[in-house]
Amino acid sequence: MLDAIFEMFKGNMVYIPLIQPIVNALMKIPIVNYIVALILWKPFFAVAILPGLGGIMIVLLLMVYWERKLTARVQWRVGPLEVCRPLRGLIQPLADGLRYFFQEVIVHVEAHRPYYVQLPILTFIPVLLPILFIPAGEIVAVRSQYAIQIIVALIALIPITIIAIGWASNNRFAYIGTVREAMMYFAYEIPFVIAVLAMILMYGSGDPYVIVEKQTVPGIVMNPIAFLVFFIATLMATSRLPFEIPEADQEIAFGPFVEYSGILFGIVMTLAYEKLYIMCLLMTILFFGGWSGFAIPLLGDLTPAIWLFVKAVVIMLIIALSRSIYPRFRLDQALRLGWTSMLGISLFSLAIAVVKVWWLG
Amino acid sequence: MKEFSIDVPVEPPTELKPLFVPIPAEYVEDAYKSDEFIVLVGPQHPGSGHMRIIVKVHGDIIVDAIPDPGYVHRSMEKIAENRLYIQNIPLFERPSIMDNANFNLGYIRAIEESLNIEVPERAKYLRTIMAELCRIGTHLYDAAILAVFIGHTTGFMYPFAVREIICECLVRMTGARFTSSFIIPGGVRRDVDKKVLDFVRKATFEIERRLKNFEKIFIKNPATIARLREVGVLSKEEAIKYGVVGPFLRASGVEYDVRKIESYEAYDDLDWEIVVADEGDGYARFLVRVNEINQSLNIIRQAIAKIPEGDVISQDLFEGVDSSTKNPKDIRGAFYDVFANLTLPLGETTTLTEAARGLLLYTIVSDGESNVPYRVRIVTPGWLYLRGFMESLKGERLADLQAIYGSFGYFPPEADR
Repeated sequence: MLDAIFEMFKGNMVYIPLIQPIVNALMKIPIVNYIVALILWKPFFAVAILPGLGGIMIVLLLMVYWERKLTARVQWRVGPLEVCRPLRGLIQPLADGLRYFFQEVIVHVEAHRPYYVQLPILTFIPVLLPILFIPAGEIVAVRSQYAIQIIVALIALIPITIIAIGWASNNRFAYIGTVREAMMYFAYEIPFVIAVLAMILMYGSGDPYVIVEKQTVPGIVMNPIAFLVFFIATLMATSRLPFEIPEADQEIAFGPFVEYSGILFGIVMTLAYEKLYIMCLLMTILFFGGWSGFAIPLLGDLTPAIWLFVKAVVIMLIIALSRSIYPRFRLDQALRLGWTSMLGISLFSLAIAVVKVWWLG
Repeated sequence: MKEFSIDVPVEPPTELKPLFVPIPAEYVEDAYKSDEFIVLVGPQHPGSGHMRIIVKVHGDIIVDAIPDPGYVHRSMEKIAENRLYIQNIPLFERPSIMDNANFNLGYIRAIEESLNIEVPERAKYLRTIMAELCRIGTHLYDAAILAVFIGHTTGFMYPFAVREIICECLVRMTGARFTSSFIIPGGVRRDVDKKVLDFVRKATFEIERRLKNFEKIFIKNPATIARLREVGVLSKEEAIKYGVVGPFLRASGVEYDVRKIESYEAYDDLDWEIVVADEGDGYARFLVRVNEINQSLNIIRQAIAKIPEGDVISQDLFEGVDSSTKNPKDIRGAFYDVFANLTLPLGETTTLTEAARGLLLYTIVSDGESNVPYRVRIVTPGWLYLRGFMESLKGERLADLQAIYGSFGYFPPEADR
């Protein structure tokens, strides 16, 4: 039985020429070879290392630092610097994370205790589920020809966990934030789905492999309107400014997360970044040619994953700039934007797709 | 729009009972019986400052707003009764530390009016320059607070960076970034030399240049305009009825400025205009103050160009003082001889000053024999427009509370005194 599983792992391993001698050596050691085979087993590698959990960790550390540093540059400041001066404060997010770990977690009397404590950890489920279906070349967990549709459906689960968090907190500001989150969800979800639909129609398939293959010119050139809708929807979905409405700290003091402290706050705070990462991966696949890029012989199977990751991260770094440019919209303004302009241009992008597919071939 | 009421039994939250909230218990119960909701914004709320606003909301719309100020009340009027007139100067700078020169000026002018001292021309010009620098500083501070209240952190940092230039000007003129107690009865403490005045003149151009960046990123930002336009509107009649003062009154279309109507210091000799807007909404209140910054820069440049040579301390004060310490350009050495036993004649003196946030009133009552005031009354602009601020909240959305708060530049330490 164990041998059968080991054989299955061995038959589907990520081949990286750079570390292949080490892998070969490790495979000769009795117990270690099982672990190495598991880690390098392609489905596991996709979820746990790249573009999965490992990618998320790198993104969290990089993104928090970059966002603070970039905002500081725009604002005539220096930004994080004192934690490890030679690296210009690069490990500041790590220091913050450590601080969260050693801080007391306060569970207030009025909270619904079990849900209040569980939910921040449970939120990782809807965050990690879409990663199962995001392929990076040969590295993929579940291969499906409806992958894009499934990813979009699973992303829609994330707001539900936030709403549950706000409800379990049993606080007035958390309640208002929860309602705002639900409202915002309605504002962006339909234009977002229509924009994705337009792209699927254009490529003729929801299979990421077909989509990447068909992008001889990137999707952003083929249908820029759909990209615009997707981009604004990303800002709304991840509550970046100017749509940082559910968490508006000056208005409702971090909304659904108002009562959290310590490591639980550390976890819920990263939720928006994780969602941003997944939406950027989807954006890369749909509009920026996915994992296509020139091959790096030394990295072997890892090359597509690296390309996908790098493209997604670059988009994220650009999105970080929005924070220093815009103030926050009001909820009703965001809703109006979602249901009029965005819905309108998303339908227009669908029309472009229809015209391109049926009349121009 | 049709409304659906959901019949859920809701208990008034217990936290409203032990807190010393200035509302009757029935008010809370009534709100919870209907489908309204009471939100306490403050005093630990990130968007409330040192005050609490009790907001009754119906859905997302504010029905009623009750202010609960007094968290930073320092009892200045009472403290002033036990201090010498001269010791009160640093005290009365404190209500609004950015606006110290204007607050100082009101108090000093009341003393001067009572003693009937004629202030030398050069001192008047120096006071005008200081008052306008502090006015710009306060407006920038308020703009920064407005920006961060609607979530624009860059709009928060830029004005504070610009304010550093003003602080540098004040350092070179007076020796302190703010609360310098530079204005004294009969003039100013020291003369300011030409080099420093040239620096201040150059600084006004630098401020103007940097404000262009601020204008690009915040003032003309479409999201800012969307947040502030047609929000918290006070019509001309309402503004007068609720006793709103200063730039906020002018934003509602009332042309009233103490500097023009009861001119003091050097304002009459200089060429400037009252900034007025008609809309009366949050954006108008903000724009009026932005334009006032430009007017103030203009006033400073003119004052520096026109400033006459001469003494800076009135000769009337030096009667009976040892002649070796007499110096009409510097009070050092003669300070205690002149001011320690300063006594005001019997009676009451009132002065009006246009502070950055509006009308500022000082009344000094003296019994004619003691060297401390019998009573000092200070009415600050923040306290005067609090009513208008609360009225403008009604009918707006809960998210607009911070935008309106910022557009009024309400400063609790100033209002509470």
